[in-house]
Amino acid sequence: MKSLEGKLALITGSGRGIGRATALRLASDGCDIIVNYFRRRETAEQTADEIRALGVNATVIKANIGDPAKIEEMFDTIAESFGHLDIFVSNAASGVGRPIMDIDSKAWDWTLDINAKAFLLCAQRAAGLMEGRDGKMVAVSSLGSTFVWPTYAAVGISKAALEALTRYLAIEFIPRGISVNAVSASAVATEALKFYIREGLIKDASQTTPVGRMVTPEDVANVVAWLCGDQSYMVRGQTIIIDGGTSIAPWNAVPKKGEG
Amino acid sequence: MSVEEQVKDIVSRIAHIDKDIITREATFKEMKADSLDIVQALVAVEEQFDIEIPDEEAQKFRNFGDFVDFVEKEAAKKG
Repeated sequence: MKSLEGKLALITGSGRGIGRATALRLASDGCDIIVNYFRRRETAEQTADEIRALGVNATVIKANIGDPAKIEEMFDTIAESFGHLDIFVSNAASGVGRPIMDIDSKAWDWTLDINAKAFLLCAQRAAGLMEGRDGKMVAVSSLGSTFVWPTYAAVGISKAALEALTRYLAIEFIPRGISVNAVSASAVATEALKFYIREGLIKDASQTTPVGRMVTPEDVANVVAWLCGDQSYMVRGQTIIIDGGTSIAPWNAVPKKGEG
Repeated sequence: MSVEEQVKDIVSRIAHIDKDIITREATFKEMKADSLDIVQALVAVEEQFDIEIPDEEAQKFRNFGDFVDFVEKEAAKKG
């Protein structure tokens, strides 16, 4: 029997990137998947087809998780269709890339609503569907919560809120039997990253990552899958960093062969 | 209300732009709509007309008229 057989997972923003890789990884462990997307039905349907090819069920739900009313609608649909949930991965993200002086109230709200408030509202609804089921929640953060990247302030701050929320949820949800953790990756090779490279905001991270290659969506998905399983039972409220060593050796201090 | 009027309503409401300034020839820059205004307008128009506007297509819009033309075309496909 596969490790997640018979379980049901909702992954927000799972049409592409890290969300898609996570959906496929959990599906390969036997988990049924709810694919949430916002703007690209085609990519979400493609992900769902790939999930079904792994022999599990996939359901596609459109919802703008920046809109509390749409979050309510999404969970109402899940409650009516399934009546329960075992795993919730808060992955969908957006944000405004601007210097601090250009972040107005609207840009702040847009970024914080999608990246932080949505996790709170989704976690509240998901918890109600996880009663008696040893639920797992994982939030996808980024190293920008701790480190400063050009024009990343709004997103970085929203991710810091996400990580703090992860800690509070982890403790408050213990009586409900729900584990809550986060993963945090450095630059991950996704479409979203191409934007930052194109705009010259970051360099190709394969040059600066001690391990010598960029983090892939699958690297992140593997850690999320571990957090969704029983092996991580005593890990609570943590943010697991997946960066090939970048955050502890940003100048890539790896000795060359023969030097170390 | 025509598609153009509906799109104009949305852009005006989201970006706080006077409707008189929103003409077919006006660029988003001329209307002083920033990147977030544009994204939010795209999202609102997608919801209103139940269509998808890929970012690659949106980047080709030279002015408000191009935006409206695309929405009209996609809305017509929906019938």
